[in-house]
Amino acid sequence: MLKIILPTMMLIPLAWLSKYNMIWINTTAYSMLISLISLTYFNQSPDNNLSFSLLFFADSLSAPLLTLTTWLLPLMLMASQHHLSKETLIRKKLYITMLITLQLLLIMTFTSTELIMFYILFEATLMPTLIIITRWGNQTERLNAGLYFLFYTLVGSLPLLIALLWTQNNLGTLHLLVIQFWVQPLPNTWSNTLLWLACMMAFMVKMPLYGLHLWLPKAHVEAPIAGSMVLAAVLLKLGGYGMMRITMLLNPLTNHMAYPFMMLSLWGMIMTSSICLRQTDLKSLIAYSSVSHMALVIMAVLIQSPWSYTGATALMIAHGLTSSLLFCLANSNYERIHSRTMILARGLQMLLPLMAAWWLLASLTNLALPPTINLVGELFVVMASFSWSNITIILLGINITITALYSLFMLITTQRGKLTHHIKNVNPSFTRENSLMALHLLPLLLLSLNPKIILGPIY
Amino acid sequence: MPFSDWNGKMSEIKKKIQSFLPGGAWTQLHDTSYLPPEHSDVVIVGGGVMGLSVAYWLKRLEKPRGAIRVLVVERDHTYSQASTVLSVGGIRQQFSVPENIQLSLFSFDFLRNINEYLAVVDDPPLDIQFNPSGYLLLASEKGAAVLESNVRVQRQEGAKVCLMSPEQLRNKFPWINPEGVALASYGMEHEGWFDPWSLLQGLRRKAQSMGVLFCQGEVTRFVSSSSHVETPSGEEVTLKRVHEVHVKIDHSLEYQPVECAIVINAAGAWSGQIAELAGVGKGPPGTLQGTKLPVEPRKRYVYLWNCPQGPGLETPFVIDASGAYFRREGLGNNYLGGCSPTEEEEPDPENLEVDHEFFQDKVWPPLAQRVPAFESLKVRSAWAGYYDYNTFDQNGVVGPHPLVVNMYFATGFSGHGLQQAPAVGRAVAEMVLHGNFQTINLRPFLFNRFHLGEKVQEHNII
Repeated sequence: MLKIILPTMMLIPLAWLSKYNMIWINTTAYSMLISLISLTYFNQSPDNNLSFSLLFFADSLSAPLLTLTTWLLPLMLMASQHHLSKETLIRKKLYITMLITLQLLLIMTFTSTELIMFYILFEATLMPTLIIITRWGNQTERLNAGLYFLFYTLVGSLPLLIALLWTQNNLGTLHLLVIQFWVQPLPNTWSNTLLWLACMMAFMVKMPLYGLHLWLPKAHVEAPIAGSMVLAAVLLKLGGYGMMRITMLLNPLTNHMAYPFMMLSLWGMIMTSSICLRQTDLKSLIAYSSVSHMALVIMAVLIQSPWSYTGATALMIAHGLTSSLLFCLANSNYERIHSRTMILARGLQMLLPLMAAWWLLASLTNLALPPTINLVGELFVVMASFSWSNITIILLGINITITALYSLFMLITTQRGKLTHHIKNVNPSFTRENSLMALHLLPLLLLSLNPKIILGPIY
Repeated sequence: MPFSDWNGKMSEIKKKIQSFLPGGAWTQLHDTSYLPPEHSDVVIVGGGVMGLSVAYWLKRLEKPRGAIRVLVVERDHTYSQASTVLSVGGIRQQFSVPENIQLSLFSFDFLRNINEYLAVVDDPPLDIQFNPSGYLLLASEKGAAVLESNVRVQRQEGAKVCLMSPEQLRNKFPWINPEGVALASYGMEHEGWFDPWSLLQGLRRKAQSMGVLFCQGEVTRFVSSSSHVETPSGEEVTLKRVHEVHVKIDHSLEYQPVECAIVINAAGAWSGQIAELAGVGKGPPGTLQGTKLPVEPRKRYVYLWNCPQGPGLETPFVIDASGAYFRREGLGNNYLGGCSPTEEEEPDPENLEVDHEFFQDKVWPPLAQRVPAFESLKVRSAWAGYYDYNTFDQNGVVGPHPLVVNMYFATGFSGHGLQQAPAVGRAVAEMVLHGNFQTINLRPFLFNRFHLGEKVQEHNII
């Protein structure tokens, strides 16, 4: 594990000591090399995991997420080049440092063995993200967005700290590889109910669950592009990953405690999908679509069946890549037109046909077109929830339909239709942008050839 | 060297730390509510009736509600020099260009149903004090043929205009002296005058309720990016795109850069200056690059007089063959009137001071000849206002600029802007939202005509 953590840490001096015309090239190239190292963790043995030390390990669940995280850093750096081009050199280096710090903390979070260490790093990831949103966001609302983001997550996760400390005192350890053999069924008492709530709420807020999702549209819309990418692709998955780890401590309470949250997820995914249909702001639409997809993951984790865990893992990876890709596309629009309103930039297919191809592929993966891994994830979740309760198929079916509707709505509004006069002289797509989209889509499409590496520990 | 001013730097750092420790008198967050927002999708330069109309229709025609953020930047919130409020307030369909007639017809319909268009919850209904008294255009022998062909065009477009001979004139309006008049056209419906201030306030109130942001400031700079492209004929042009508007606050050096996607130039008499700021017309003359926006301010006087024996309540808005005009104002035998000066007598548009000699020399004699009762009158007051005069063909400029691709114009109406404002606002909103004119085809009014030389000459300009 140190073979990833130390190089990532050394990216910081690399950023500070590079010449002004080499900062982007150096950091992007070396972070891409680091992501190649993380590919080696896919070589998992079926019954256990790759254990590196007392602190770090890589499971079939954490390896894909780790690879996603490390793959995303070069992409974030590529996406930020344009909007940072007018800043001073020191600010650019600060921004890159924030991204690298966030990356470091995320790598350590996904591979940590101790739950307390996981918690500390989970909270620590809030800090660089908050700085990125409030300092480099575009509009005055970013202060409000940062506040919502910080306090929702903090308030949700403080009870988790208490629950973890109590569990440590009780069980003697919080080492993930140990507690899976040591855990005993929780008796059904009031205090254990509170324990369940305390453990789960942090991750529910992070996912986010429908009733606690208000921070997400704000934070995603106000963040700069790298902030949006890392929020959508990785930080939300922290919630899913954490839930999957912590539910092994909480049986059999989950059988009845999960019901309210399942209801909220089921209802929430339809609600947020419907809100997407009415959105006028492009980034806001993608943010709400993230909430909708993550509601599926919450449902899957709460059902706790083998297929649902498989589906949840696949969906997390697929959604990470798709959402990040959509945010990059929306940003390429914003950099040209300086407005995020969808109806002001129509008919882009005529002007930027290659970008239209990326838009098409992104919308198709967003609506879970076969044979992409998005479909694999969604299908597994739908099947698991159908077997959990037959009626959920109606709600999930409605959600899939509405997802298709708003993805196509977004595609058709921005790409098709009559070209508006005032976008006739936008800059053509840069190679950097095209390669950014391609690097998002390449893993997504290649994984549909071999999805078993992202199907998680149960597969 | 960083260590040379060590003491100075240390004391600065200490001061900074002390200032934000609790108990210090430093606050980070100042009140910036007087500044415009940092980002707006559409910035409308000019808050007169044209700008407000565009804002209203943009909000009304946007497909999902609340999609577009509109900011109206107005330099003077008292509207002391704006053409809208200094206008005489007439609305007529008696134009020679069919598009003008259609614009006025729709605007009349808008004004007739103004409380359906501009209703705001819990606010009292608007009363624009519309007087539907019609317009009376008088023509001498020379202009009779033109008048007749104009009336034919107007009738085709749906205006209700009738032609009258001098005898019919004398029968209908006994106070008129039809000597020298060969033909007259009288608008029977959809014509009259109204109070422009109420329309302005109504539009402003409604636009505010729909979410349009208003800001008081002056646009001093456009930050744009340009790219060089080659036209099919091999000529190299520079396409520009405005992506920031700097709005300067009054009586201060402070300005706020507003990031925007579209700029709408509805600055009236000052549209020419705004267009120059955006780079319209910077190039060799004769090319599209070098075609300026030919709108300049022209001063016009309006005089208010009292004449106890004057014409009665049925008096239409009379436009004499000589160019002098008058209309009844209120119920106390007051009349408003004026005359457009010839090219040689153009007053200096530096300020809005009134030349009373002009009334004595140029306005009173023709009016007194036409209406004998006006031989004895008493001038009560007078004011001056600007026409946003289009020196090319005295008709409005509507639509996008071909080179500064995200600047749309809604200006240059040369004295008939107020009466066409609702329709022009709708046309510009359609152009922005749909890409073409959908209800009234204003293609002849696009900017291109200045470069191609296609005049849309309006003959009935007062």
